[in-house]
Amino acid sequence: MEDWVAELERGRFDAAWDLFLDRYRRLIFAAIRHYAQDYDDVMDVFARACEALRADDLRRLRSWVEQPEHRARFSTWLVTVVRHLTVDWFRHRDGRRRLSVVAEGLPPLRRRIFELVFLDQRSHIEAYELMHAAEAPTLTFREFLSELRATYHAVATGRRGQILRDLAPTSEAVENLPADPAGPSATSANEQSQLMERALGTLAPDDRLIVELYVLEELPAETVATVLGLANAKAVYNRAYRALAVVREHLERAGVGQEDL
Amino acid sequence: MLDTRVRSETPTPDCLQDDLIAALAYGSLAPDASAAVLPHVASCSRCRAAVASVARALADPVIARELPGARAGRRWFRIAVPLAAAAVLLLLLSSPWGDRLPGHRGPPPPPPATTPIPRSPVGSVAAAKDLRWSPVVGADRYRVTVFDETGGVVYASESSDTVVAFPDSVALVPGASYLWKVEARTGFDRWSPSELAEFKIALQQR
Repeated sequence: MEDWVAELERGRFDAAWDLFLDRYRRLIFAAIRHYAQDYDDVMDVFARACEALRADDLRRLRSWVEQPEHRARFSTWLVTVVRHLTVDWFRHRDGRRRLSVVAEGLPPLRRRIFELVFLDQRSHIEAYELMHAAEAPTLTFREFLSELRATYHAVATGRRGQILRDLAPTSEAVENLPADPAGPSATSANEQSQLMERALGTLAPDDRLIVELYVLEELPAETVATVLGLANAKAVYNRAYRALAVVREHLERAGVGQEDL
Repeated sequence: MLDTRVRSETPTPDCLQDDLIAALAYGSLAPDASAAVLPHVASCSRCRAAVASVARALADPVIARELPGARAGRRWFRIAVPLAAAAVLLLLLSSPWGDRLPGHRGPPPPPPATTPIPRSPVGSVAAAKDLRWSPVVGADRYRVTVFDETGGVVYASESSDTVVAFPDSVALVPGASYLWKVEARTGFDRWSPSELAEFKIALQQR
């Protein structure tokens, strides 16, 4: 038993906190730094994380300790909690004004996409519909997706990339653009969305999750293998390949040609 | 068209608690528990994004290094098995009866050119300022990882060259053993790993 847990169980919360912080300070900082690189942000989030973990006589820590069965290691649970607190802190603090600073360096079209997707939390389709109906009536869906992909790449390579990925309402990969240069309309995009949802729904849950994590969330195949308990990355490639073939077949039966995928 | 789907940000009663997200992201969830939650995660974009985000974080070498005794166990197992296999192979090749083994035809064939070979440091060395390995035809990037004796990641880096210098922040302890490997990227998300190499910084003679 770790010493801070012993102190916690004796009800000596201050002593437990000191020991806990001494033990896990580096891990908490590492987790925060994964999402935020700015020094001031890291320190502010660290203070917020400490405040949240220490609140109500270490309620969060007690709730974990008191669980009859631990499904996760404490350290990985702590990383998850810190991720949660970090995202919440940025979401709470980063109003329109601060996030807008990120958009300043983008070309006008991408800046508008950034505003709709990252600031207004619109879905991709909603963003396209709004832009198409107002300032960009000639913008095709394909052009929009191309600009959307460029916007994601632009913000993800900056100093705040990891946290922006978590703050966006959607993080689906911007891949598989429609082949038609004219692009489908927003309506047909909606129909395609429903078709895709149905096609993915025909997959076994683990196959679907492989597609979602490897193709859409862009996790490395090795990491997907770890999450799904597969032997190695090759198993992920094989399963993803077969699952995508099933999806493609389903879509083709629904009248969506390979050129539309 | 995959990216046109809309993610719901509203949690439902079925959404995963932090401990389940952590266990799933780390790959430590028991198979029956995993089978129970996968259908929800597969269809819930909110939980899926959380699992992906935590998995990405746990794979970050900086965080992995700070996980006390966590990944080290599994990683050490991965290291220990090839090491044990290599030790058995070495024993067979160097043993007095090795020459009499049927089918033995001189030295073993060189490894395939698609695999990088750690060049230095290997064995006991006075100092280790950088890591060097053989090039692989067609590789555009290399990923190198150094482990300590417990399997914890001491240093991880990527390079397009076949050498990478240790930064000053990495303090190698004299007398301690380290293992390292290098992976060559030979295609889209396709990495060919080297065998593990071991080295030790020799203790200074007084």
